[in-house]
Amino acid sequence: MIQAQRPGHDVDPKLLEILVCPLTKAPLEYDRDRQELVSRAARLAYPIRDGIPIMLADEARKLDESELTR
Amino acid sequence: MTDLSADQNTDRNSQPGAGAPGPETHFGYRTVPLTEKQSLVDDVFHKVARRYDIMNDFMSGGLHRVWKDALVSKVRPPQSARPFELLDLAGGTGDVSFRVVKAGGAGTRATVADINTEMLAVGRERAEKRGLGDKVTFTEANAEALPFPDHSFDAVTIAFGIRNVPRIPLALTEMRRVLKPGGRAFVLEFSKVDVPLLDKIYETYSFKVIPELGKRVAGDAEPYQYLVESIRRFPNAEVFANMMREAGFSRVDFTRMTGGVVALHWGWRI
Repeated sequence: MIQAQRPGHDVDPKLLEILVCPLTKAPLEYDRDRQELVSRAARLAYPIRDGIPIMLADEARKLDESELTR
Repeated sequence: MTDLSADQNTDRNSQPGAGAPGPETHFGYRTVPLTEKQSLVDDVFHKVARRYDIMNDFMSGGLHRVWKDALVSKVRPPQSARPFELLDLAGGTGDVSFRVVKAGGAGTRATVADINTEMLAVGRERAEKRGLGDKVTFTEANAEALPFPDHSFDAVTIAFGIRNVPRIPLALTEMRRVLKPGGRAFVLEFSKVDVPLLDKIYETYSFKVIPELGKRVAGDAEPYQYLVESIRRFPNAEVFANMMREAGFSRVDFTRMTGGVVALHWGWRI
């Protein structure tokens, strides 16, 4: 089978299954396009860089109101 | 978007969050604001990531391998295909995780968590080279606020990392939280030399030889000056065992190695 060649790394799907928000310990939503793990409870989006989830509040993007109501 | 987590049995009120403003901690022998320590520690590891394991060999005369092997034999992953999930904290370069996965059977997997991007990049590169990419995964995380649900792991290890955590009690509480009942945490860390004469030799070696080695091998003496100072600051084995008990661990015990240069502590989550 031919695997699609993608630059960099994909995040480990088994890891995505267990990760929670480090602040609220609530579940996360995976935004594949933006490569982010979204914590609605903490209003933060944790980036995934080169396949490694960066689960640090300091590194997370703050969600604005429009994103929260989506 | 996909909801990733189905089962949650987490106490959502137990947020580690940020501590009260103003408290101070130690960065080696300097007293620094608690909030500053993490970035100072980060700088140290940014500087040395590539040569971290080589420097460990140089500084310990290869002894760090003996200490880590002792840790792995205590963790004792199953030889069978039975699932065994390890969380290795501050394990960026993957050293401990690779050893545990190699020692264990087909069901043994490791999750490496480290706060430092460079150390993780080195670790993942090595995992791929060794064909362990599917058994060892890498996450950037803070030991004081772990991004894992309660009861996730069979064992949690931290080797030469707890010393660098600004709020150690918080990290110990988190380690216990993510353990399955019946799981064990293992802490390998420098301790206090308790053998006469050896303590004098160790003192001289630490403060004269190690920073010089750091300068010559890793190109920077300062991170290694921090290293030896932070080792001296770290509590002795009995005091640390009590910190583990206070964090809720049961049947806490420890063993000293190499005349007390290093201690291995462990405690159960009952």
